[in-house]
Amino acid sequence: MSTQVYSFLLFKSLYQPAATFETLSKANPSPFAILFRYSIWLLVLPPLFAFIGASNFGWRLGADEPLVLARESLILVSLGYFWVLVVGLLTTAIISEWMADTYGADAPFGRHLALITIVGEPLAIASAAHLYPSVFVNILVIIPSLIWAMYLLYKGIPIALDIPPERGMLMASSLVGWLLVAAVSLLGLSMMLWTLGVGPLLGV
Amino acid sequence: MSEESTNIYHDKVVIRLIQFSIIWALAAMAAGVYLSAELIWPTIDLGQFWLSFGRLRPLHTNGIVFGFGVSALMATAFYSVQRTSHVQLFAPKLAWICCYAWQLIVLTGGLSLLAGLNTSKEYAELEWPWDIAITIIWVCFAIVFFGTIATRKIKQIYISNWFYGALIIVIAMLHIVNNLALPVSMTKSYSLYAGAQDAVVQWWYGHNAVGFLLTGGFLGMMYYFLPKQAERPIWSYRLSVVAFWAFTYSYIWAGPHHLHYNAIPEWVQSLGMVMSVILLAPSWATMINGIMTVSTAWEKLKTDPALKFIVLSLAFYGLATFEGPMMAFPSVNVVSHFTDWTIGHVHSGALGWNAMITYGTFYFLVPRLVGADLYSVRLANMHFWMALAGTMLYIMAMWGAGVSQGLLWLSVDEIGELSFGFRDIMASMAPFYGLRLIAGLIFLGGTALMAFNLFMTVRGREVVKVKIPAVDPAYGVAS
Amino acid sequence: MSGLSLHKRIEENTGLLIFGILLVSSIGGLVQILPVLNQESLETAAANTRVYSAVELTGRDIYMREGCHVCHSQQIRPLVAEVERYGPYSRAGEFVYDRPFMWGSKRTGPDLHRVGGKFSDDWHRIHLIDPREVVSESIMPAYPWLVSRDASQAGNITAKMRGLRTLGHPYSDEEIEAAAGQLQGLKEIDALIAYLQMLGTGLSEEITL
Repeated sequence: MSTQVYSFLLFKSLYQPAATFETLSKANPSPFAILFRYSIWLLVLPPLFAFIGASNFGWRLGADEPLVLARESLILVSLGYFWVLVVGLLTTAIISEWMADTYGADAPFGRHLALITIVGEPLAIASAAHLYPSVFVNILVIIPSLIWAMYLLYKGIPIALDIPPERGMLMASSLVGWLLVAAVSLLGLSMMLWTLGVGPLLGV
Repeated sequence: MSEESTNIYHDKVVIRLIQFSIIWALAAMAAGVYLSAELIWPTIDLGQFWLSFGRLRPLHTNGIVFGFGVSALMATAFYSVQRTSHVQLFAPKLAWICCYAWQLIVLTGGLSLLAGLNTSKEYAELEWPWDIAITIIWVCFAIVFFGTIATRKIKQIYISNWFYGALIIVIAMLHIVNNLALPVSMTKSYSLYAGAQDAVVQWWYGHNAVGFLLTGGFLGMMYYFLPKQAERPIWSYRLSVVAFWAFTYSYIWAGPHHLHYNAIPEWVQSLGMVMSVILLAPSWATMINGIMTVSTAWEKLKTDPALKFIVLSLAFYGLATFEGPMMAFPSVNVVSHFTDWTIGHVHSGALGWNAMITYGTFYFLVPRLVGADLYSVRLANMHFWMALAGTMLYIMAMWGAGVSQGLLWLSVDEIGELSFGFRDIMASMAPFYGLRLIAGLIFLGGTALMAFNLFMTVRGREVVKVKIPAVDPAYGVAS
Repeated sequence: MSGLSLHKRIEENTGLLIFGILLVSSIGGLVQILPVLNQESLETAAANTRVYSAVELTGRDIYMREGCHVCHSQQIRPLVAEVERYGPYSRAGEFVYDRPFMWGSKRTGPDLHRVGGKFSDDWHRIHLIDPREVVSESIMPAYPWLVSRDASQAGNITAKMRGLRTLGHPYSDEEIEAAAGQLQGLKEIDALIAYLQMLGTGLSEEITL
């Protein structure tokens, strides 16, 4: 069961999401197995691409000289990015499990973890845009991948958790609410850290 | 124009206000789309003063807040206060005056802005003759609303009415105090307050216009229409009581977070920040109340497109009321102030919360008012996805633009010199502005779909005469 | 528990509800605004801050009319990068004659609080008529109509100055009588430039931050 579950999660979810969710709805994967044999591969992609892009090409603003950060701070930033993604994945899965009761779902934590990882997969792949260090290009690439991820969320929740589509829609919307808050918190937290000196040089 | 029998709810004025609200939504959003295009192609104003960004911007904000927003609030207040009181509107002729006079104020006010009559105080740009007119009509609104409550047949005043009541009372207080000015001509006045003192008064007003009009009033809408649509009571009455008073108390203090690092006393800034964070609690308590209420009514989603709007509006309400306190921290504000991040925050609230909950309410209310089914559920669903897409695209574009601007403005090199020139930073915003323009077009398109859908729903129909039901003696007043 | 029964009383009484809302919502404003309105330092002009002359006042009102404050702030924050970019940070005493204040809430264009004296009159003239003539990437709208309109068309300057004097601005009788004459022969663009050129000159020269 184990190896079978993960390989299809990695690839089949991209071109046959409905079938993947169906299979997942009957599975009871161990959270550790999901995290260390599946999620981890996706979690390292964004920080890796970010590191490669920023250290080789620098960040560009308009036609100006590219901004290149020192290697040590780049490593720190990439590591920080990685841990933020890990925490984000785990907390979202935990919150999904916490919310599940309200919507009549009863699934083990491992299934929630697998589901959220599948939802995040398009974003992980799209993070290849970090290789081209332009904020705008990254936003441009994030948009279709976000649409795809949200599609997987709305489609996946009712199927994988085996609840009626309307309850699934409500639960997915509540998760969207959480994700919006998480995203803006990340923004705010980053700003707080940077303006307090932990980060790029700011003249505050 | 007036219902003969004393046993029928006055609903014609409700539908008229909804119609005006939608017209303003379309006009003001179109103005918004035009303005966002101007930021990319500044010469599309063809050198004409009446197409100029500076004069049109308050047209957009006033059109949305006072045209779209207040009309929707008046409509839903009039509808719900009657039904929660089991009486007709008090002074129905006054209600009609509110309806039409208000539209006249917004229309002529908009024209006055184009003509350059502008106090420059945000959301209070209209000059003193309009301020007086607004005060008069607002008093009429208060008389109709509180009069209906005072003559009610149900003993308890339902919670939605507390919020609408707070809207009316607090906006009156804010409007009068902030607009105090000495007229020097029919079209020009000078503020009673100057400089730093004016700043504190203005943002006490400005923030609470958002707080009690855009938040409080629409919470009133939510507290009535959500349980109605879900056909469930509010999840927690006790929570709503605590949340209401905490909300009414704390929101007022948050104004100074618009003035961090500005030339006002630091203690005022700190107070503003602390209370902004405290405000998170009652805001989220209300959101949770709404979400838990609707989560028990999920089967309705099968047939009711309106409920989808309300559900997502609550998610965006959660976002906006979380982002606000976060931006009130000086260490975040240092980056966000003066940037497009603020604009993004405004619109996550305006599009995600205000517009969406209003749309959900209109889709529910309008068919009911004329006793018909919604013309097209398919179009309503299409509208929903367009509204969601438009809102999220807008937010992302402005987060990208705003955070870039804020950080790049502050960016210095190792010897402390500025890393980037203002012009270069500004020029690099164009792609984000392009994304925002597309977002606005999508959102406007969805709104147009709704206008068409609701127009077809009411076409050829009359407002249904609804008999006021008998009052269960357990809930009635002794009269 | 009695809290809830007290609340039931409020919920059943329109007058109590109105009073409760008014009371609870006034507190924040009273605590924050009253002390500020009574704080003398916020009403005391900084070293070189003076009332606006007739021409400058006309210019300021044009600035307001055209909505310049919507894209340009007039508030330099006490931040290293900001002081470096724009000049000494803004002090409250510089704004005592600003009715209303125009600190702005958005910088689509640069902050203008210390723009006075940074560019020549001619530069401003060309820039206002067509911004892209001097700043090719500018997204600022053009203001060609300011060239043809007479400054006196911007409003009754005598009434304005009288009104401001009532509000406490120290204008002398002579200044008010001479006002209309000072606008003679000037166009709106001249008045606006005069206003821009005095922006930020209200601090003592010794202040560098």
